[in-house]
Amino acid sequence: MSRANLSKAGIGRAFVRLGAAVLGAALVSCAHAATSTSDAGSATPNPRIGYVRMEALVKVHPLYSQLARLDDDMAALALKSVGTNIAHSGEDIAKDERDLQKQLDAAAASTTAALKGKEQEYAQKEQAAINAALGAGAGATGPGSAQIAGAMNVQAQSQAQAVEVAANHNLDAYRGELVKQDQAAEHSLQVSLAERAQRTYRAEADRLQKNESDFALQQASDDAADRLSLRTKLSNLALDDASRADVKAQLDAIDRKEADALGAMRNRDQLQLVALQRQLHDQIVAELGTQVAEIRKRTSSKINERVSDTRKELVGQIGQLGAGGGAGGAVVPNGVTPDMKAKLVALHQKFQHDFNDDAAKTVAQFKKTRSDLVRRFQALSGVDTQAQAGAGQEMNTLQKQRGDLYNEMVAQIGREVKVVAEKRGIDVVVSDVVAPAGGVDLTDDAEKDIESLHE
Amino acid sequence: MRRYRVLAALAAFLCSTVLATATLASDVTDIGFVDQAALANIPSFTDANRQLAGYKATLDRQFAKEMKGVRDQNTQARIAQEFQNKLARRQHDLFAPLFDRARVAIASVASSKNLSVIVDKRIVVFGGQDVTSSVIDLLNGPGDPIPPVNTPPPSSVGFVDQTQIDTIPKLKAANDDFQKFQADQQQQAQTKMKGAKSDSDRQQILKDYQSAIADKQKQEIQPLVDQTRTIISDVAKKKGLLLVIDRSNLIYGGTDITSDVTSEFK
Repeated sequence: MSRANLSKAGIGRAFVRLGAAVLGAALVSCAHAATSTSDAGSATPNPRIGYVRMEALVKVHPLYSQLARLDDDMAALALKSVGTNIAHSGEDIAKDERDLQKQLDAAAASTTAALKGKEQEYAQKEQAAINAALGAGAGATGPGSAQIAGAMNVQAQSQAQAVEVAANHNLDAYRGELVKQDQAAEHSLQVSLAERAQRTYRAEADRLQKNESDFALQQASDDAADRLSLRTKLSNLALDDASRADVKAQLDAIDRKEADALGAMRNRDQLQLVALQRQLHDQIVAELGTQVAEIRKRTSSKINERVSDTRKELVGQIGQLGAGGGAGGAVVPNGVTPDMKAKLVALHQKFQHDFNDDAAKTVAQFKKTRSDLVRRFQALSGVDTQAQAGAGQEMNTLQKQRGDLYNEMVAQIGREVKVVAEKRGIDVVVSDVVAPAGGVDLTDDAEKDIESLHE
Repeated sequence: MRRYRVLAALAAFLCSTVLATATLASDVTDIGFVDQAALANIPSFTDANRQLAGYKATLDRQFAKEMKGVRDQNTQARIAQEFQNKLARRQHDLFAPLFDRARVAIASVASSKNLSVIVDKRIVVFGGQDVTSSVIDLLNGPGDPIPPVNTPPPSSVGFVDQTQIDTIPKLKAANDDFQKFQADQQQQAQTKMKGAKSDSDRQQILKDYQSAIADKQKQEIQPLVDQTRTIISDVAKKKGLLLVIDRSNLIYGGTDITSDVTSEFK
């Protein structure tokens, strides 16, 4: 073939063949691309699978500090819930109650024993008095009843004094216990109210902080396109100094605008928190005042009631003793006149009855004191149970807050990962990978994108 | 020359058309996922749950009655075990057929959509095929789902059963030791908390506790975790896998490399 054969027409045909070859190659290439895509559905390893280490991405998210704080709060609450300042356990309460019952039962038993001792002592003295009276009666013509009555009065006075001392002692013990319980109740109340206020304050602070974070993110997202465009301009080496300065100024202006808006929001939030703190403080003071007054009023009324009861009982007992005189548990000897004998027996029976009655009343008084104290203690344990329920409720609230926040963060991370994956032609991205093998790790790229949300 | 331009333009057009199709198809891969929470809400599962709750309430009453007056710990343990077994049997009776049915439905959907693996929705960050509604439709439909003729194709996604790997003596010993350490530390921290006077004291106790746990984990657990991960990665690479996930996140298909990994440890 001569050079002339390489005619224009020949060149043209060669171009046609070349064109066909280009088309063919392009189609094969395109088909290969398509096949690669559909091969993803087959068993062959797919290089377009990516993965991220979600834990690492969560740590660089702008809201991570809030998540970490919630984790710390939950851990602290879990440890603290066994501490003394939150709540007693049911076992502790039962133990304290058992101790209290034991003490009061012991006090009641010792009172009964003391009364029994008095009864014996009284019987001996009565016997001595009767002997003296009868001896005097044997030596004199007149009956010894006046003398007997005198001796009985002395005994009655002595007994009245003993009863009064015991009653006053019981009253003082009762008053002391009530005051002690009141102090404990007031302290628990104070702690409970302070903790409630603290929870309210913290919830509001968290809410405002979350709003601020959302606002900052929203601003960054709104300005992202402008910022990117300006940064792209800055990366142009051919940009002259004046234009560069102008672009920088624009970037600074965006930063300033965002910082100012966020600063203004923070200032408003701060003011709101200060106002809330003041309001909560006032509420605590008012509520504490009301409830403490109520507790004291109840206690005062109980003490007054007890004082009144004790006085009535004392008056009754002492009056009976004074009026009765009585022959106590003494043995009446034979040989006295029937009148004297009848009189002495009647006096003895009356005195014995009065004494038993007195003993029963004293014991009953103790029992009443005990049941009052137990009731007070149960009321206190009610406060404690409320505190415990409050801690559980707070834990649930924290867990819910944490769950919501985490889901929100993961959703945003998912959006960022999607952008990264699309840029790199990755079709599927998974997390929670046990071990990577040939998949593409998108964590670093996604981290950069997520970190840019801080700006 | 003009003809060449026309052909080149045509080639470019065809290429772009095919590429566009390929791009559209790029969302379709062999990895599918199912929202298991959504499956649990279908009527057959909720009915079974209700029945189980009713049965449990009855058992609880019977248990309380039977335990009344029993002081011997061995007898108590025996009675408790009997009741647990009863509940487990009932749970199996109620749910096993449902799980079997769900497994068949998932396999059927996977086969019809040419998927080699189906995972839990929670681990999919982006992409993949959501087959939840197809599975639900099949489960709610009349009759039983028809099992696929073919077994799942080999997948580039592998999985390991971590509970089984955790039983490897070396790992088990380390885990047991760590758990004991953690329990001791927790008890100590709780005791200190009881004596704490202020919030700053409490914060310090918490900080010390967390730090002690983190140090122990870093010293004794992390090296083993790294070693396990390396072994799993090596096995996966040998088998041409791209990723390895935990069995608990896998619903269908995948390549099980658990035994290979445990062998490598020995």
